[in-house]
Amino acid sequence: MGNTELMTGNEAVSRGFWENGGIFAASYPGSPTVEILESMKKYSEIEARWAPNEKVALEMSIGASMAGGRTMVSMKHVGINIAADPFMTFTQIRTKGGFVLVIGDDPGLNSSQNEQDSRFWGKFANIPVLEPSNPQEIKDYTKLALNLSEEFGTPVLLKLTTTLCHGRAPVQLGERTEAVVEGFVEDQGRFCMLPPYANKQQYFMQERIQKLREYNNSTSINALTEKADADTLIITSGVSYQYLLETQPNASILKLAMVYPLPIEKIQELSSKYKKIIVVEELMPFIEEILKANGIKAEGKRFFPFTGELTTEIIRKGLYEAGILEEKPVINEKNIQIPPRTPMLCAGCPHRPVFHILKKAKAVVMGDIGCYSLGILEPFEVLKTNISMGASLGMVQGVASTLRKAGKSEPLVAMIGDGTFFHSGMTGMVELSKTKDNITVIVMDNRTTAMTGGQFTPTTGEYLEGKGDHTISIKGILEAFGIKDITVLDQFKYKETKETMLAAMKREGLSIIITTRPCALNFKIKEPYFYVDQEICISCRSCIGVNCPPISMKQYEGKDKKNSYINPDMCVGCSVCSQVCPVGAIKRSQKEEA
Amino acid sequence: MGTTNILIAGVGGQGLVLSTRIISYAAFKEGFDIKSGDVIGLSQRGGTVWGSVRFGKEVHSPIIPNGEADILLGLEELESLRWLHLMRKNAHIIINKQNIFPNRVLIEKEEYPKDIVADLKSKGFQVDSVDAREIARTAGNVKTENIVLLGRLSKLLPIKYETWIETIKENVPAKTVDINIIAFNKSRE
Repeated sequence: MGNTELMTGNEAVSRGFWENGGIFAASYPGSPTVEILESMKKYSEIEARWAPNEKVALEMSIGASMAGGRTMVSMKHVGINIAADPFMTFTQIRTKGGFVLVIGDDPGLNSSQNEQDSRFWGKFANIPVLEPSNPQEIKDYTKLALNLSEEFGTPVLLKLTTTLCHGRAPVQLGERTEAVVEGFVEDQGRFCMLPPYANKQQYFMQERIQKLREYNNSTSINALTEKADADTLIITSGVSYQYLLETQPNASILKLAMVYPLPIEKIQELSSKYKKIIVVEELMPFIEEILKANGIKAEGKRFFPFTGELTTEIIRKGLYEAGILEEKPVINEKNIQIPPRTPMLCAGCPHRPVFHILKKAKAVVMGDIGCYSLGILEPFEVLKTNISMGASLGMVQGVASTLRKAGKSEPLVAMIGDGTFFHSGMTGMVELSKTKDNITVIVMDNRTTAMTGGQFTPTTGEYLEGKGDHTISIKGILEAFGIKDITVLDQFKYKETKETMLAAMKREGLSIIITTRPCALNFKIKEPYFYVDQEICISCRSCIGVNCPPISMKQYEGKDKKNSYINPDMCVGCSVCSQVCPVGAIKRSQKEEA
Repeated sequence: MGTTNILIAGVGGQGLVLSTRIISYAAFKEGFDIKSGDVIGLSQRGGTVWGSVRFGKEVHSPIIPNGEADILLGLEELESLRWLHLMRKNAHIIINKQNIFPNRVLIEKEEYPKDIVADLKSKGFQVDSVDAREIARTAGNVKTENIVLLGRLSKLLPIKYETWIETIKENVPAKTVDINIIAFNKSRE
């Protein structure tokens, strides 16, 4: 094995960045790229920072690059949407310190709200896009990206996907090579994107992308595997290449490393030798359309799906339909007769009582992005909308205004977490601060970016027992916005929380409720478990309604009806179920037993 | 030899990522080419999770192709039923006697399937039903449940005992190394 280590794709990105003199990295946590920055933290030469959102992460990175440092910014595919403003202007500039933008796409929407194909940013922003197919290539292309960035004066997009980010494979390790940091050298013509400077840059970008195309035509990074007598050429990139190899097609394969700008002249020359050109790519027909526009008779999406991840069997099926595989693939059907298992709020999750109260109140709630998005699912089904980070706050005003104009006003609620509030909720809150409509905003301040694994938020510090050197008060911010009606409460006091929430929803104008219980995953509750006293339980299922993983209905011996049961191994002792039980059947065990 | 394909199935929070990692490292240390994959993210919150480990002379895809999995390691019974389309005929299934009710069962909209082990046997799989929690408990710590399952798995794989022990030592918390090795050994008895 020698200098080889097993690494995930995310770890390979970090390693590649470190080995090649990386000095500054920033990100906002989002699946599938979370572990890039997490694993960057072990390299002391790199300053790795979680930013409040992807835009700030990108802006810090622009600064680092302008100061001459080798820089990386990583995010999930939707992150670039909020960072698009600085990004689209930054790419006009002749890059100084090597700059790599890593985007993790999520075909199949494993943990995302949409499925956008990030390769289009390359074309839109006039920058090259690299697509590796395994962890070793991820590390190698990170180096290539930094080098191309400095050689051509361009940011480089390293495009990954969920499978690539999380997959493990052996990676050859190297030592770190320091890069020279020149420092910030004033050059307004280079760094100030105003006319006339920015006008010139349009020509610069055209020329830059043309040079990159020439580079891509002549480079050996794109691998051609020719098969004698084959009349088909398959063009592919990324992890699809690995699936394709499993199918052993009777075809030559061109595996592209750089998918934008494409090596058109090379492909034109190559394609003249083949009868059929097939493109195997995940999501949109990005390569296919460019080839077609350049007169190459390529086919792709006729045979392969436009949505979801590709798999070996999907490629087999497509190749069979395209007449490349002779044998019809036998594909076992998935068993859909068994109960699905959707994610649930953890035992002791502080979101639970709030959802329970909102459901009983039949409130109309605009939802947002975080663990509390699980409130969309049964049995709560409380959140009625889910769009993007921070959207609940702007949307709730839009709904209120329209209903008022139509004479249909009703009380409205918006729900947002602390991480999302700082990410993109604050500007929405500025607008809301002047509303006269009946809107209640619930800020679920659990001190954690929970869904992505428990990264800190600006409010975590208060809970770190002296370790946190910095903390921001959401209440303080809202007061500074001129909002008067603010209640801070502990939502594990169920009755008080319910009364406060119902009263707030009755009041005209804007009311804010900030819940303070921290995330049960990051700040574990270790209280004695609760149990159901079968002599008292009336089988009313009130506790089932709070939907906690340890609570189910169970058939006890000698009983006609099922009674509720709490699994002691899973219960953390938060007490919420005992507070909704109308007959006091749910009791806390003694400490010794726990 | 060809590629050995292992699928690990479970519920978010059961420690599937660590189990996948240990199998991957053991195969890697043994000198095989190896690729692994797993789904993490949203599903961590009690949802369906899976991992794949593929090792052999040369491995391409990190995901096990449909119908090619040789061994299923089921950390939970229902989750073991979910991936049968990936399994070969007569594949080995090591299945933990553990039922974690999914949401729709908790809220009484669906029933938890009955007789899962018998069902799997009737489909022609070679099933090893393991009460991993009980073995872990007698070994001294219920938290070694997954290591117990790995002990069973280890008997089916061309990876040396010493390699497993070394890998476990490097991947479990330092304080729990001894108890994990006891549990691993106990399950191999």
